[in-house]
Amino acid sequence: MSVAEIPETTRAPLASGVSAVGVSRRFGSVHAVEHMDFEAPAGRVTALIGPNGAGKTTLLLMLASLLQPDSGAITVDGLDPAQDSTAVRRRLGWMPDTLGVWESLTAREILVQMARFYRLPKSGIAGRVAELLAMVRLEELADQPARVLSKGQQQRLSLARALVHDPSVLLLDEPAAGLDPGSRVELRTLLRNLAAAGKSVVVSSHVLSELDEIADGAVFVNQGRTVKRQTIEEAAQQGRRYAITALDQAELTAKLTELGLEFRVGTGRRPSVSLMLSHDAGAAALLRDLVTAGIGVVSFGPAGGALEETYMSLETERK
Amino acid sequence: MSMEKTLPGPAQVPGPADGRAAVAGYIGGIRDVVVLEMKQRLRSRGWYIMLGIWLVVIALVTALTWAGWNASMEVRNSMPVPDGTPQPTGPGSAIFEVVLAFVLLFALLVAPALSANAVNGDRAGGTLAILQVTLLTPGQILWGKFCAAWLAAIAFLAASAPFLVFAVLLGGLTPGHVLVSLLMLAVEVAVICGIGVGISALAGRPLFSIVVTYLTVAALVVGSLIAFGLGVQLTQGTVMANQPRYSAAEYGPGTYPGSPEYVCEGPLVEQDVLRTERVAWLLALNPYVVVADAIPYPERQGLQYYYSGGMIENISQGARAALAGPEGTYTCANGQVQPQYLEQATPLWPLGLALQLGLTGLLLWLGWRALRTPAGRLALGTRIA
Repeated sequence: MSVAEIPETTRAPLASGVSAVGVSRRFGSVHAVEHMDFEAPAGRVTALIGPNGAGKTTLLLMLASLLQPDSGAITVDGLDPAQDSTAVRRRLGWMPDTLGVWESLTAREILVQMARFYRLPKSGIAGRVAELLAMVRLEELADQPARVLSKGQQQRLSLARALVHDPSVLLLDEPAAGLDPGSRVELRTLLRNLAAAGKSVVVSSHVLSELDEIADGAVFVNQGRTVKRQTIEEAAQQGRRYAITALDQAELTAKLTELGLEFRVGTGRRPSVSLMLSHDAGAAALLRDLVTAGIGVVSFGPAGGALEETYMSLETERK
Repeated sequence: MSMEKTLPGPAQVPGPADGRAAVAGYIGGIRDVVVLEMKQRLRSRGWYIMLGIWLVVIALVTALTWAGWNASMEVRNSMPVPDGTPQPTGPGSAIFEVVLAFVLLFALLVAPALSANAVNGDRAGGTLAILQVTLLTPGQILWGKFCAAWLAAIAFLAASAPFLVFAVLLGGLTPGHVLVSLLMLAVEVAVICGIGVGISALAGRPLFSIVVTYLTVAALVVGSLIAFGLGVQLTQGTVMANQPRYSAAEYGPGTYPGSPEYVCEGPLVEQDVLRTERVAWLLALNPYVVVADAIPYPERQGLQYYYSGGMIENISQGARAALAGPEGTYTCANGQVQPQYLEQATPLWPLGLALQLGLTGLLLWLGWRALRTPAGRLALGTRIA
C-alpha cells in the first residue's frame, strides 16, 4: 500500500515523530522493557539514556518494527508498525549497536544494495550513494571491501546505511561509539541538521556530555522503565554541580563555609571542591564573591553535563 | 538533498489492481537478495577451493572407473566367448552410473554446507536485521537465500557435467540421460538446499543447523533404507495365488521380452507375503531412488536383455517392485501371469519427490514464520540484532 492509498482517517500528520505508550516486552522470564513510555517528536533530537541492560536496545528494536511489544502501542509518524510495516519502514532509518556489515562488499556496493532493498528509483541510486559517501567522508574508501574499514569508519558507513532512503525517523543505537573526536563533531552537526530538516532523531548513548550538545530532550530509562523525561532546558534549570579549584584550598573552603554553602571536597588528582548551584546567575554571583574576597580562583566551571547530572542523581536515588 | 522530492514513499509499491507489477516487484526483491548473496559467495576463497576439490575428485573417480573397466575388458577378451552371450556395448553405462552416484553423493554433502547457515549466519553477523528492517518481506529474504544457495550448488553440478557427457560419448547412452540426470540432480540439490535454508532460519546457531541438515540428509539416504527394511517386517500379509506351470522353452533364447514363459493354473491358495507397497514410500524418500527411478533405461532388445542393466536400473526396478507389492510381483498372484523384470512401469519417483518437496516446503514455511517482523516469540538464546 502506498502512502496515497492510506485512508485519510488513519493517515497521520506527516512526520509526527515516533512514540511508544506503555510498551512491555519480555524474553522468557526477563522483563526487558516494562510499561515504558517514550516520545521523540519530529524536528528534535531525543536522547535515550540509561545504564547497560536498561532496555534501551530492546525499546529501539520495537520502535524499529523488528520486535513486537507484548503490550502497549507504538506509532511511527502515526502509523502502527504491525499493521503498516511497509509504510513505517519507508519512514524509519535504524542504525544498530552491533556492527553488521557485509564484509566482502565495498562501502559503495553496500549502500547501493540498501537503496535497492528500499526500492528507490534506479536512476537516482548512484547519485544518492555518492552523496551519502561524501556526507560520512568515506569517498576515498568507497571501493574498498568493508572489512578493511576501521570500527569508526564502519560506524559511519552504518549511519549512511540508515540514511539511504532519507527516513523521517532516525533511530541510532550508540552512534558515537568508536568515533574519533572529529567524527563526533561531524555526527553532532549532521544530527542537528537532520532535526532542523524536520526529522525525528533518537540517539541512545552513554557519552552524556556529548548528548548535552546534540539533544533537545532526554528520556531516562532504567530496569526496563521510563524513569524521567526532561528537555535540555529543564535539565539545565534543575541546577548542576560546579567544580572550583583555587590556589589555596583551605582559603576557598573557609570562604564557602562562611557563605553557608554545602560543598564536597573533590576526589580528583588536583585539590578541588564541588557544589550544587541551582542556576547560572547563582554561579556568576558566587564567582564574583570569591574573587572579590581575594581568593585565587584557578578554575570555576560545570563539573559535568546537565544530562549527566540528572543521570547521576537518578543513580543515587536508585541506591 | 536531491532525493527529498521522491521520498518518502516512492510510488513503487503496486496496488492490488496491478498484480503483474506486484509479482515483478516481489521477484525484484528476491533478485536483489540473490545478488547480495552471490557477491559474497563469489568473493570467498573457500568456495573456489571447494569447487576445485570437487573437480579433482570427480575427475579421479571418472578416470579410475574407466581404467577399471578397461582392465576388466582385457581379462574378458582374453577368454573364449561362447556363442550367443551378449557383449556390453562400452564402458559408457558403467562410468555414467559411478560418476552419477558420486556426483549425487558429493552434492548431498556440499548442499548443506552451502545452505544451512544462510539465515542464522547472517543473524550471528548482525546483518539479518539490516535486511529485515528494509522493505524486503520475510518471503523475499528466504527465497533469495534459497536461490543463492541453489545457484552455488548448481555450479558444482555444472562442473561435473563434462564427466557425465564424457561417459555418454564413450557409448551406450543418449544425451537425454545426461539431461534427465542433471535435471534430477538439480532438483535433489534444491530439496537439500531448501531443507538447509529452512532449518537455518529456525535454529539459533549455524553449527547446530548445519549438523541438523547433515543428519536430515543422512536420514534421507541411509535412514530411509533402514526404515524400509524394518518397516517391511511389519507388513506381513497374504495374497491369493495359484501355481505356475513353466513351458519348456523357458530357458531358451529368444523368448524375452514379453512372452509369458509360464501359465497359471490350479486353485487359488492363500500365500504369506510381505506387502511392501505399504512401506514403499519410505524407500521413495531416498534421493538415490528418486534419481535412479527418474532416469530412463537404455533400450535393449533380444540377447542384450540378459546383460545386467547396471545399478541405476536395478535400484529403479527394485523400488518399483516394492511399490507394486505382491499383487504385482508374486508369481501367479490372483491367478495372473505377472510382468517380468523391466516391466514394472509404475514409477516411484513422483511419490518420493512429492514427499521430499513436502518436507522442504514445511521447513521453509516454518522458517518464513520465524523471519516475520515485528517478531513475536524468539528462539531461546537468540537476539534479533
